[in-house]
Amino acid sequence: MPKLHVREFLERFVRPLVAGGELHVAAPIPLADVERWTGELDHASVELVAVDEARHVVLSTLVCRPPAFVLDSDELCLAAGLHNALFLVHPRADQWSVSEKQRRRIIETALALVSQPLSRNRTRVMARHALLNNLFHLTRNDVTVSWWTGRARFHGQTPPARLVAWKGMRRVREEVTVVDFDELLAVPDTAPVIATLLRRTPMTQLLDSHPGAPPLHWEDAVFLLRDSELARAVAYRLVPDAGPRDQVIGPARLAAAFEQMLERAPEEADIRAVAAFLVHLNALFCLGEMSLREAGARSPLISTVLSAEAAGQRPRGLATLFALPGALALVDPRLSVPPGVESIPALAKRWMVHRAQTAELLSDAVIDALAQRLRRHLRPGQVARDPSEVIALSPNESSEQDPAPQG
Amino acid sequence: MALEHVAQGQTRFFTPGVAPDPRGILLGRYCLMTFATLEGAVSWFRLYSSEASLDELLANLTITKARTALGSREIVVQIPAVSSYAADRSARLARLVGGAIYTGTSKHYVKYRDDRSPYGYDAVDIGAMPAGMDFMVHGDEFAQGYIREGDLPFGRLLFRLSIRKLPGGERLGPDDRGELYLAVARGLADGIIRYLWRNKVEAQAGLFTPGSTSAFDDQVRGRGYMLIRARALPERILALFLGTPGIDVFRPAGANAAVAVGHEHPIDLASCASVFPPETFHVFWPNDRVDVLPGPLTLSDIGDLTRVDLELDRPRDPAQHTGAPAEPIGVELKLAASMGPPRRVVATLIPLEHGSRLKRILFALPPVSLRGHRVAATDRGILVVGSENLDVIPLGQLLYELAPGLLVPLGMDVVPRVSPDVLARALGHGAGIVTVFTAEGRPFQVSESAFATLERRALAKLDVERAEGIDYAGEASAEAQVVNDAVGRFALWGFPDAPDRKLLPPGK
Repeated sequence: MPKLHVREFLERFVRPLVAGGELHVAAPIPLADVERWTGELDHASVELVAVDEARHVVLSTLVCRPPAFVLDSDELCLAAGLHNALFLVHPRADQWSVSEKQRRRIIETALALVSQPLSRNRTRVMARHALLNNLFHLTRNDVTVSWWTGRARFHGQTPPARLVAWKGMRRVREEVTVVDFDELLAVPDTAPVIATLLRRTPMTQLLDSHPGAPPLHWEDAVFLLRDSELARAVAYRLVPDAGPRDQVIGPARLAAAFEQMLERAPEEADIRAVAAFLVHLNALFCLGEMSLREAGARSPLISTVLSAEAAGQRPRGLATLFALPGALALVDPRLSVPPGVESIPALAKRWMVHRAQTAELLSDAVIDALAQRLRRHLRPGQVARDPSEVIALSPNESSEQDPAPQG
Repeated sequence: MALEHVAQGQTRFFTPGVAPDPRGILLGRYCLMTFATLEGAVSWFRLYSSEASLDELLANLTITKARTALGSREIVVQIPAVSSYAADRSARLARLVGGAIYTGTSKHYVKYRDDRSPYGYDAVDIGAMPAGMDFMVHGDEFAQGYIREGDLPFGRLLFRLSIRKLPGGERLGPDDRGELYLAVARGLADGIIRYLWRNKVEAQAGLFTPGSTSAFDDQVRGRGYMLIRARALPERILALFLGTPGIDVFRPAGANAAVAVGHEHPIDLASCASVFPPETFHVFWPNDRVDVLPGPLTLSDIGDLTRVDLELDRPRDPAQHTGAPAEPIGVELKLAASMGPPRRVVATLIPLEHGSRLKRILFALPPVSLRGHRVAATDRGILVVGSENLDVIPLGQLLYELAPGLLVPLGMDVVPRVSPDVLARALGHGAGIVTVFTAEGRPFQVSESAFATLERRALAKLDVERAEGIDYAGEASAEAQVVNDAVGRFALWGFPDAPDRKLLPPGK
C-alpha cells in the first residue's frame, strides 16, 4: 500500500477540520508516519498555507491581530491523534477483522499523539484553538437504507448505488441521522483521547463546549484570563445576544468548573482571577439590560433563569454564578464589584437590582455556603495589595500581577 | 271615654282601620276635620292652598254638612291621609282656624296626634255606634256621632266664592306682567290690536263668547269679547288699559284660569288646577262673574290681524329695474421714483441674455454668499433672491422687498401708496408666491417651489461612480462533517504498537 503524503492529510483532514467541510477518516496513522510527515511539511507549502489562512480567519473574530504561526509538528500530532480517535468509530473498526488488541493499539497510538506538552504560550494556545475550534461541532451523517427485503446502515459513508437503485420498485427509503460529539468522541474508547486533547487547547474549552465533553479544568485555563484581550474575547463569546436561557449556559458551565476548582487546592491567585472573571460576566448581564425602559425594573433574565418554577431545569453552576458577587462581598469586597461599575450610574443601578433580586431568589443560605467555601481559599488575614497600587508603582509588571481582567 | 297615647312601635290598636305609618304615627285612610262654620272650612282651604297643592287631596276630598244628635250643625271636611306630613300640615292649619282633626277609615275617627302624644291616640272603649249615626269621632273627653245632611262639592264652593280686591294689587312687577290676558270689547278690538302692534308688544288674540247653559239667553252673543294674550306688557300700557272702560286685564292663575288684575280668589287657584276641566278656560271677573271659555285657548298673532287697506280700482304694476355692475373707481398701479432712503436689496432680476455673466460671477462668490441665495429661471429673467443683502451680484434689476414676497425695483415705489396688505390682496399675492414688479411691463408672479438654492443650481449634474463596499467580516465556517473513507479489509495489518513512553510530559 503506498504511503500517504502529508499534503493529502492536510488537504483531506486538517483543512476541513479548521474551515469546515468533509473530514476524510481513513486507516489509522501510525507514529512512524507522523514523524515522516513532519519532515514532509516543507514540501506541502500550498496545503500548509491554506490551513494557516483558515486558522487566521478563525482567530480574526477573537483578536484584532492574530499572531503569525505555522503548522507545527505537535499540531500535526494533535490532528493525527484526533484522526485516529475518529477511526475508532469507523464502521471498519467494529468488524470482526479488527481485534480488541488492535483497537487498544489504536487508542494507545492516539493517546501518544495527543499527549503533546501543555503550553501557556499565547501564540501556541491560539494556534491550537484555531486548529481544533470545530471539535465540538463535528457531525456525521449516518444513512439507513431500507428496501423491500432488508436494510443497511452506513456510518458516514455513501450507500452503494446498487442499494438505492430502482427506488420505486424496490421501495427504497433513505433516512439520514446526524450524529454529533456524543456518539463520535464521547464514547468510552475515544473519551480519554479527547480529554487529553482538550487539556492541550484550554481556549477551546473556555469558548465552547458540549454537554458530553469533559469539564473544564480551570487551573489549565486560568492563565488566559490574565491576557485582557483573550479574556474579553472569551467573555463576549460566553454571553451571546440570545434568549435568557442561552445566555447563561456558557457562564454557568464555567461557574460549575469553578465549583470543582474550589474542591481542589489551587493557588489563591487563580481563585481570585476566576472569581473576578465570573463577577465580570455578571456585570455583562447588567450591561445587556441598560436599555430597559425602567432603570429600577426587575431583571427579566434573572427572573427567568432563577425562578422557583425553573429550579429543576437550572444548569449546573448557575446558582454559583449569580451568588458569587454576594459571597465575595462577605469574603473580599474588592472582588465583589467589577472595577468601573460605579462610574456608570445606570450600570450601578442595574447591578444593585441584580444583586437584590439574586439574594431574594437564591436565599442567603446559598450565598453563605459559597462564602464559606471561598474563605477556605481566600485568606482574609493577609491583606492583598490593591491592584491599582501595583500598577502605579510598577507599570511594567502590572499586567502580569493583576489577577482581574480589565474588560 | 278615654284615649290612650300610642307608644313607639305599637302595632295593635283598638280603633278599627288605623295603622302606624313608617314613622310610627297612627294613621287611618282619611283625616276628618270638623269646623263650626263654612267660613272656617274655607279659611282652611285658603291656608292650605297657599302652602301646598290641593290637587293631591282633591281626588277623595268631600265637604259634608253634618248634624249631631243634639241638633247642632257642623261642616266636616274629609281628606285622604296621603302621609303623616300632609296630615301634620292639615292638623296645624285646622287648629289655627278653630277646627279639630281626626283620623280613621270608615266610621270611627280618633283624634290625630298632637304635642302631648306624638304618635297619636287610640280609643280604647269603642262601643256600638248609636242608631242613625253615620260616623263618630273620638276626642279627649267625648265621642261625637254625626248624621250627614248633604255634600258640598269643592268645585261649587270654589266658584261660589267671590274674588276680593287687593289693595295696591293693580301694580304688577315685571314678572307678573310676563303674561296677561286682555278682555277687549269688540268695538275697541281693532284699535287695541293696532296699538299693541305699534308698540311692539308680542300678543295673540282670539274672539270668544262665554258658554251658556240657558236656551233663553239671547244676549250671550252680545257678551262676546276679544281675548288678547299679551307678553311683557309695559307698565304704562297696563296702567292705560286698567283705566280704560271696555278693557279688562286678567292675570293667569294656573293653566286654565285667569283672575282680574287687582283681585284675588280666596283659594289659590293654581293649587287646585284639577278642578278646572282641561277643555275650559275660566275667567274670574269682578262682581262674582265667571266666564267659562272653550279651552285651551286658540289665539292668533296680532301681527296678522292689523287692518289692511285695499285699493282695487287703482292697480299698480310693479316697476321693472335692471341691475348693472358698479362703475370701477380703482386707479391703475404705477411705479414712480421713490423719494425715500435707499432700501436693502434682497433680489435681482437678471435678463436671460446675461446668464453667462452670472455663471462667471458664481465662481468668484464666497461660499457664504452662494449658500444663502435662491434662484429661479423664468421667461422674464433669472430671479435671484437672497436672505441677506444681495448687492454682491452687480447684474440685472436690483429689487427690494415691499412686503414679504413682494419685490419692487430699487429706487421705485408703487403709487398710489396703499398699504402692503391691500396691495397684496389686489394682486392675488399670498404665501408661497413671489410677486415681482418690473420697471418696464406688468408685474409677474413666481411660485416659491420654482426656486432652488443657488448652490445646487450652480453645479451641473455630475456622474459619480458608486464604489463597492468590501466586507471584512470573517466568513462563517462551514459545518465540519466526518466522512469515513473506505479502507480495505486488512487496513490494520501491520499497525505497530504504540511506543512505551511517558504520555504526559511536564508542561511549561
